[in-house]
Amino acid sequence: MKIAVIVFPGSNCDVDIYEALHSVCGAQVEYVSHKATSLTGFDAVMLPGGFSYGDYLRCGAIARFANIIPAIKKMASEGKLVFGTCNGFQILTEMGLLPGALKQNDSMQFVCKPVSLTVENNRTPFTSRYQQNVEITLPIAHGDGSFYADSATIDKLEQNHQVVFRYAHENPNGSLNDIAGICNERGNVLGMMPHPERAVEEILGGTDGLPLFKSLLDHGTVKAEA
Amino acid sequence: MKTVRIYVTYKPSVFDPQGASIQDAIHTLGHNEVQKVTVGKFFDVTFDETTTSLETAVKDIAEKLLVNFNMETYKYEVLEADK
Repeated sequence: MKIAVIVFPGSNCDVDIYEALHSVCGAQVEYVSHKATSLTGFDAVMLPGGFSYGDYLRCGAIARFANIIPAIKKMASEGKLVFGTCNGFQILTEMGLLPGALKQNDSMQFVCKPVSLTVENNRTPFTSRYQQNVEITLPIAHGDGSFYADSATIDKLEQNHQVVFRYAHENPNGSLNDIAGICNERGNVLGMMPHPERAVEEILGGTDGLPLFKSLLDHGTVKAEA
Repeated sequence: MKTVRIYVTYKPSVFDPQGASIQDAIHTLGHNEVQKVTVGKFFDVTFDETTTSLETAVKDIAEKLLVNFNMETYKYEVLEADK
């Protein structure tokens, strides 16, 4: 399985995701520039955190126009795994692969700390190595992570079990329904504000992010819908 | 040339943390008569003479780029030409 890590101008967690997958999990990983137009040969694509295009206009709004975007959409439509964390999640909503939007934290503060999460759905290719409803700790680091969608969209996400991660005990940003991460209906696109790639070795403060990368390496590609 | 000013704000149903915070500050100034503050942004977009349908162009630009309809709404006005 070969994994692409997309590098946008302003990405700053690209190395973290690369090393989590390559050094820690032993996966075959390559950086791919936002200027590239093809992801042929890759089985999964990672959209890293950071501040792509300086967060101009809205977080993730300009990245949607990068040359690489049509190739990412193609991979999603083929059932290949697409993962975005933090700014990557914001980009996935702006490009329409995930519903809703990420708005400024209710506190208006940039929040950088470990938070408790509940794994709400372990039947996705990204979470199969977690126990259902297990509580984990991952770092967050964002100023615009408050998940918002209209009530019909929220209801649909809940009914379809598309809420994959939920903040436990404390909601750090004002996200509706304490939502920390969601997947698409098919389950092959996941976006989340917390950073699993920053929790893959004990020296980093914990390893609760490791099962996510091992899960996606287990699965590779989601089978085409029947 | 024509300049269009496009205003983008949160939808009324969406909590505006900056607006709420500024409202609190205004109350601290003693202006307790202020009931609501909305913060938004505006874009001055200047078109050249070749524009055939300003309205269509503004709608396209706003709805495909400047506004995120999940949480935002917009309005616009055509500014008077510079004298």
